[in-house]
Amino acid sequence: MTELALDIRGITKRYANHTAVDTLSLAVPRGAVYGLLGPNGAGKTTTIRMILNVIVPDEGSIMLMGRPNRETGIMDRLGYLPEERGLYKKMQVRRVLRFLGELKGLRAREADRRIDAWMERLSLKTPEKDWGLSKIDELSRGMQQKVQFIGALLHDPEVVILDEPFSGLDPINAQALKDTVVDLKKRGKTVIFSTHLMDNAERLCDSVCIIARGVKVLDGTVADVKREHGGNNVALSLADGGAALVTRILADHKLAERVDDSNRFFEISLQPGADPQDLLRRLIDAGARVQRFELVQPSLHQIFLEKVGATGVEEGMSGHG
Amino acid sequence: MAKLWVIIKREYVERVRSKWFIFMTIFGPVFFAAITVLPGYMTVRGMRDTQVTSMHILDATGTGLGQRVADRLLAQQTSGPLARIPGAAPAVPSIVETVAPGALAQAESTVTHLVMGKQSEGYLVLDSLMLTEKKARYAGRNASSLAQMEMIETALRQSVMAAALQSTGIAAARVDSLVRVRVQMTTERIDERGRGGSGLVSAIFGLVIAFLLYMMIMLYGQNVLRGVLEEKMTRVAEVVVSSVKTDTLLAGKILGVGAVGLTQQVIWFGSAALLGTYGASMAQAMGAPTMQNVTLPTVSLPLFLALVFFFLFGYILYSSLFAAVGAMVNSQEEAQQAAQPVVLLLVASIIFVQPIMINPTSTLAVTLSIFPFTAPVIMPLRMSATQVPPLEIAASLVGVTLACWAAIWVSARIYRVGLLMTGKRPTLRELLRWIRFA
Repeated sequence: MTELALDIRGITKRYANHTAVDTLSLAVPRGAVYGLLGPNGAGKTTTIRMILNVIVPDEGSIMLMGRPNRETGIMDRLGYLPEERGLYKKMQVRRVLRFLGELKGLRAREADRRIDAWMERLSLKTPEKDWGLSKIDELSRGMQQKVQFIGALLHDPEVVILDEPFSGLDPINAQALKDTVVDLKKRGKTVIFSTHLMDNAERLCDSVCIIARGVKVLDGTVADVKREHGGNNVALSLADGGAALVTRILADHKLAERVDDSNRFFEISLQPGADPQDLLRRLIDAGARVQRFELVQPSLHQIFLEKVGATGVEEGMSGHG
Repeated sequence: MAKLWVIIKREYVERVRSKWFIFMTIFGPVFFAAITVLPGYMTVRGMRDTQVTSMHILDATGTGLGQRVADRLLAQQTSGPLARIPGAAPAVPSIVETVAPGALAQAESTVTHLVMGKQSEGYLVLDSLMLTEKKARYAGRNASSLAQMEMIETALRQSVMAAALQSTGIAAARVDSLVRVRVQMTTERIDERGRGGSGLVSAIFGLVIAFLLYMMIMLYGQNVLRGVLEEKMTRVAEVVVSSVKTDTLLAGKILGVGAVGLTQQVIWFGSAALLGTYGASMAQAMGAPTMQNVTLPTVSLPLFLALVFFFLFGYILYSSLFAAVGAMVNSQEEAQQAAQPVVLLLVASIIFVQPIMINPTSTLAVTLSIFPFTAPVIMPLRMSATQVPPLEIAASLVGVTLACWAAIWVSARIYRVGLLMTGKRPTLRELLRWIRFA
């Protein structure tokens, strides 16, 4: 039995006028929470569709739990939440879920039992109201997302793929999603999700892969990535009105390589060899009141910006996801 | 293929449960009867108005022909088939004016004013020309009513004939029965196996079958289109194809929807058969008059098998094309436009139904019954109207099967690519690329 839940080797997908994914390799260990990060149009959805065997790569191989993903039955061990969500509008919630379960090989009776459990857990079924008997289009957007989420997990898959799971979620549903991801991990499941929200990725993921323009930029565990790419980083926050005083200092390229300016909070990558003490002294000399000055590891967000930069997003590539 | 079954089950159950299905199953036959029976009913209703009321006859022949015509007209209306039409206006005797040839012009202008003032329907002029050249004139507001003119002509012809017969010395009573002699002709079809059923009834049967096939293929083919479009627009497709192959989804959809169509037909024909077996005796028990002895055409086994074949393959042919259309568009509006070529192919077959019924062995009929896109409707029509040579049937079967296979092949490819593609509708060139590379 292999240790890898997903093993992608050198997959390439070309379209008429561009290459969506270029010799991409990924290795996702079993039981990991894995983030596939990249700007819009980077090739995340294409990659996911290739994993799901909806699109066939022009080159390369994809193995799921040690087996080629084209093998029949392997998809039954996978759960998938697509980025663009939707269900049969005129169909009863319960029947939709049973259908999705049966498509993954669940028996109707077993599906019904699990539907009850899930509906209660996500409070779609309360003593007063059983939304399972309503039609999909009678549900609010938030409730529909819950139903879709149940549909992806009903057959208790070993690997769960979530494409941009946080987009369009309200804070309460987003929290429920995070809780579920953590719970899945505890139960030994593998979770792969794509996102362009680095905060979520940083908090949830064991490992990440950043791709841009169809090419892998970097990958590894979050800790490794940070260690490798964490140069001299300083987190700085100033008292009111301080920002104006330090603009010129931070613009000095001999000192700071790049600055992520959030008005009162700055994340600064120092030039190799630059001394943080030097920066601190100059800030105080300028009259700024420093509230926080800390040598930190860079955030994923910072690394992402540094690695992908402005060139990562290319116009007109979103057509093929 | 457990998953194919899951798809078929969903497509079938969700449709059969819908209000649309229940409505169509109950009111489909009513609607269908309406479009086939209504024209006949309208004709009968139109005949009510053929009663010739308040007509003037200007008789300048001096032979009493005018009175004869008036008597005959009245007799026609009170004892002919028209008199039995419920709701018909009571017959009114025509007003006969005997005028001298010299005063005819004056009389005509007087009656013309009466007609203009709606006090008379029209007038018939019988003058010397009637005696020499058998020519009469009619003028009136109903001059364009073919049925009424024919009725007056008949009365006139019978009157002239009666006068002629009487002049040869035949007794008046005998003359009357002679001119009123009526003949009836029944029509019967003869084919290689002998005589079978009434010609008219089998023509109507063929027409009904053709319309039914056309309607079912159109209705359920477009139903497949809507189903595909719904999955595409709501993005359910993405979840479903991560569990099953697109080919399985397409096959399941076509088979599931087709099964709904078959269910509907079984219900329709089943209840029609029950009505045929018990309906007549029930109607009799309720005091309704018995139907005239109409021999229903017996559906031979080959014809029955052909009907099933052409429905199934015709439906599969068109629904797979409709599915491809559904996969390449993004909205209802786009779908209507993109479906037009497919709809046109299907409509072509119904446009030619009439000429083919009139002449089921013409070159047009033979061509269209072999051309795969019209064959599913036209071949059953021809088969019920005439004896189609086995070679033509074989060519039609092979053609439809091949076209079906090609349509499935092309559609599956368009479907595979189109289902997850959003944005602009593909151009013809892009479409060809989808087909080549899918």
